[in-house]
Amino acid sequence: MDYVRPTAGTATVLGFDAQQETRAIHERVGILPDGYGLYDRLSGRKHLEYAISLKRASDDVDDLLDRVGLDKTAAERVVGGYSKGMMQRLALAIALVGDPELLILDEPSSGLDPNGVRLVREIARDHADRGKTVFFSSHILSQVESVCDRVGILNRGQLVAVDSIDGLRDALGTGSTVTLTVDAVPDSLTLAEINGVSEVAVDDRTIRVRVDEATAKVDVIDQVRSDGAAVLDVTIEESSLEDLFSAYTGDAPRQGDAPEGER
Amino acid sequence: MTPEPIWLTIARKEFADALRSRMMWGIVAIIAVMTSLSAGISLLVPGADGGPEMAIGGASQFAGILVPIMALIAAYLAIAGERESGSLKVILGLPPSRGELLFGKFLGRSGVVAIGLTLGFVVSGVATAALYGGLPVSAFAGTTALTVLLGVAFVGIAIGISAVTSTRSRAMTLAITAYLGLTLLWDLAPNAVHLLVTGEMPGQEVPAWFLLLQGFSPTGAYNALVQRQLLGAGTAVEARLGGPAPAYLDPAVFLGILVAWAVVPLAVGYLRFRRADLS
Repeated sequence: MDYVRPTAGTATVLGFDAQQETRAIHERVGILPDGYGLYDRLSGRKHLEYAISLKRASDDVDDLLDRVGLDKTAAERVVGGYSKGMMQRLALAIALVGDPELLILDEPSSGLDPNGVRLVREIARDHADRGKTVFFSSHILSQVESVCDRVGILNRGQLVAVDSIDGLRDALGTGSTVTLTVDAVPDSLTLAEINGVSEVAVDDRTIRVRVDEATAKVDVIDQVRSDGAAVLDVTIEESSLEDLFSAYTGDAPRQGDAPEGER
Repeated sequence: MTPEPIWLTIARKEFADALRSRMMWGIVAIIAVMTSLSAGISLLVPGADGGPEMAIGGASQFAGILVPIMALIAAYLAIAGERESGSLKVILGLPPSRGELLFGKFLGRSGVVAIGLTLGFVVSGVATAALYGGLPVSAFAGTTALTVLLGVAFVGIAIGISAVTSTRSRAMTLAITAYLGLTLLWDLAPNAVHLLVTGEMPGQEVPAWFLLLQGFSPTGAYNALVQRQLLGAGTAVEARLGGPAPAYLDPAVFLGILVAWAVVPLAVGYLRFRRADLS
């Protein structure tokens, strides 16, 4: 977004050079920046009117307010009296001005209550459903997981992975964990021989098996039963984005690492 | 219809903000009251042969001290304040470029200062006319225009300062430094140089370069121009020099100096701001 000047190299956004063609980029992109501020003395409506005139857009202020769930009486008040959540909604509305081809949301959920967080998710989905791209940057991995089609992981300034969450799982082999509760662990447990099983751990009456391939899960259950145990309970956990993140960045993620997602 | 240029949109918004914050009315009130008072003062001094020209001269003396402060206050936070609050990221996330933002801000704030000063001077013009029973309109209008130019020069300096600093407090420090340096300290500089060159303090007659040095600051250039406006071209200068004035003391030179004080800080500010990292 041209906030930071490069020391070397080139970058393009939507096919435009990030240094030479900033105007073209800024006309097509909407951004909710991290660490932004608004004008305390201006009303919410004035903010949107200003953004619309600067972007030469023709949006209707009331439509934008509706989309972010900010009511009209609040929009007449000055922003100095807004709560963090209201400011975030207004900033989100500013980002939506001109129906941008690319919507960049940098830590969009900070300061929002659960309803606000859900709203951000809905706006991101809604925008993607209109055929636009949403670039979603967050440290809150559960959100990334629930919103993003493709995920990129940055580690110390390097993009270490870009793929769908399933793709990342497959690539790393951090598949899923099958946990079985049995009446008694059979002496002759032969699970390690099954294709796709990477790790077996037994603790009292629970057997924990890590599998890299989806089909191996059923094989594991069948094998336990044919080894002579009765299965009382089965839980299957897919590895979370958090596990994937740790796997890609080393076990102790450093400060400043952020997964970034795209829809 | 072609849309208005983006810097004009920004300038309009800056202007509207200043009206909303009553900054402009503050300028009008202060200038109106102070210049009216100083215009009236020569009536109170017994034996002073004050005409309306003297009154305007008195008002301009006051303006030379007040206008720089007001213009600096009106504009020193224009960029730095937004940078600190983060609203700069929102604006620069929208289409405006950094140059357009800077120019729009300069234009908007200059407009506020210019209109505030003009209205304030109109009030004191009416007061002067009432006190002295007449007003030399062209000299008065000329002085008003020069005062506006002085205000715009300091808006340029303030915007330049605002563009090179990233926090409000640094901008304030620089603005105060600029004020002290350009209005108060600069008055001493020619005397100090005179002392160094000739070994004595300047007397009744001074060398020509002394007047140039005096007129090199924005306020100095303003004073030189106002003096000539009110007392007629050349005569005051020649009296001071004890001979004909060299070409470099032409009013056009001082006009150029005043304009340069608006443009150069703005340009330097832009060059620095263009390369600045915002986060």
